[in-house]
Amino acid sequence: MRVAAIVADACRELLYRKTLWVYFGIVTLVLLFFALALRTDVADGLIASLSVMGLEGEGSAGSFRLGGGAEGGMGGLTAARFVRGVQLGAAFFLYPLGILLSVFATASLVPRMLERGTIDLLLSKPVTRPTLFASRYLGGLLAAGAGLIYLVSGLGAILGLKTGVWNGGFLLSGLVMALYFGCLLCFMALVGVLFRSTTITTMITALVFFVSLLARWPHENRDWPLLITSRVWRFAAQGLVEGLYHLFPRTYEFGQMAASLIMDEGAIAWGPILGSLFSGAAALAAAVLYFARKDF
Amino acid sequence: MRRPPVQALRGLDLEVPRGQVFGLLGPNGAGKTTLVKILLAIAWPTRGGAQVLGRRPGDVRAKERIGYLPENHRYPPHLTGEQVLHYFGMLSGVRQPERSRRVEALLRRVRMAEWRATRVHKYSKGMLQRLGMAQALLNEPELLILDEPTDGVDPIGRREIRDVLLEQRGRGVTIFLNSHLLSEVERICDRVAILKEGRLVRQGGVEDLTRPSSVYQVEARGLPADALARLAAAFPGLRAAGGRLELAGDLSSLNRLIDALRRDGAEIAAILPRKESLEDVFVQVVGEGETP
Repeated sequence: MRVAAIVADACRELLYRKTLWVYFGIVTLVLLFFALALRTDVADGLIASLSVMGLEGEGSAGSFRLGGGAEGGMGGLTAARFVRGVQLGAAFFLYPLGILLSVFATASLVPRMLERGTIDLLLSKPVTRPTLFASRYLGGLLAAGAGLIYLVSGLGAILGLKTGVWNGGFLLSGLVMALYFGCLLCFMALVGVLFRSTTITTMITALVFFVSLLARWPHENRDWPLLITSRVWRFAAQGLVEGLYHLFPRTYEFGQMAASLIMDEGAIAWGPILGSLFSGAAALAAAVLYFARKDF
Repeated sequence: MRRPPVQALRGLDLEVPRGQVFGLLGPNGAGKTTLVKILLAIAWPTRGGAQVLGRRPGDVRAKERIGYLPENHRYPPHLTGEQVLHYFGMLSGVRQPERSRRVEALLRRVRMAEWRATRVHKYSKGMLQRLGMAQALLNEPELLILDEPTDGVDPIGRREIRDVLLEQRGRGVTIFLNSHLLSEVERICDRVAILKEGRLVRQGGVEDLTRPSSVYQVEARGLPADALARLAAAFPGLRAAGGRLELAGDLSSLNRLIDALRRDGAEIAAILPRKESLEDVFVQVVGEGETP
């Protein structure tokens, strides 16, 4: 009951601040667009005809464009290929937007809890500090993750009903991105408890995001250290890059994995994902430990 | 850069028996709030220990039996008054339908029923204090810890809060009251302790601390203008104070003064033994520098 109360309150708090409503609103517009404007005719797994807001589509096996006229035909475009393409496009724009707005919405989750007058009251209740902190984290994750799940379930269902293609990979990609946000939220929780500032939490989260993207290139290209002649500096630079790469969530790999799941292409690289989960769990554990010992 | 450490409490040894209303007094920065925070495990002592309801501070089972109203408390602004009570009721482990029953009764008791559906960010300070009282009482606590419960509350609201506290005292609840309003403390508390610079400088029963001194106030009318100087010469402990005569002395001195006043044709309107107020004691201990 206590955990449920804290989780529900964290969700209510985030929804009250309206940032997440903006995301829900944008996703709803996208869903309405596909629900009302898209017309498809599927035969034997191939798109026979397609129109968006009255504009007829013209396609080939690998792509399609609008405004080609009905006589152009769909050139053997499969419904599965079309659905995956649309979902990949939606994911390309709406996943980063969802993560961005979720960061803005949840950056204040921990600093607000630690405000004087709020934390005193919460800590006076029969709830242990780790439970309190972890429940609030969970509430933030659920509220932010709900936006992504709304997108994938809504768009997946609309396209499924219109084409008969039900792409489970799209749903999984939404869960993977929610998992990515969960890892990012662990770092936000740690920064939030250390600095008690929404602004600093947002800034450092942005830093984590970009550093995790930037650190991937030198991590993948192993020959660059040879450019550094000093052995000490070479090891230091390599150590720094590897440290940063393994310390933060692997943003690029999560994105790639989401795309692979949507397009049903290639094997999934679980290493970076599990590594991110581990570093996120370590950040959350450090945050809980610090919170549990802190004087307020 | 680190701030230099502050020693908020030093060598404090204090016991509050069950069922008492205990007032903790002291100037700003005396360590009152720190003591409360230690009792609730909101802050940790560097040395020493405490027990609350027979358990260590922070023990979940002890906290289930404690009601707390912090100073400058903040409630989630997105919740209504009723939702706040349900939220903290759930955190305190109060189950339905009992929780709804208590929320209803307490909203009525603190006269907030008509504001139940209004979000708390629209509440005035006084309304927040009333809601805070209801929140602190929701789990029907055995120990009620209140940090400045009447802060920002108008005189009528203060009286209502006082009545609520007296009801709780009647129920046998132990009340730990931290307040600057000494008149409130004097009316409610059985015992008080005064902290100064983190040390306990005085503690005792309110009756003991404010017992009547051997000073009497005499209100006399129709006293001739030249009589006062004469009387002052005859009674060394006599002085005029606020339109009254104040005599420091024993009962026989008082009777001799009354005789003298009557001889001078004065009419005695009132004779009062002067009782020291808690404020007098507080000012004496804190303001005039009783050594900690």
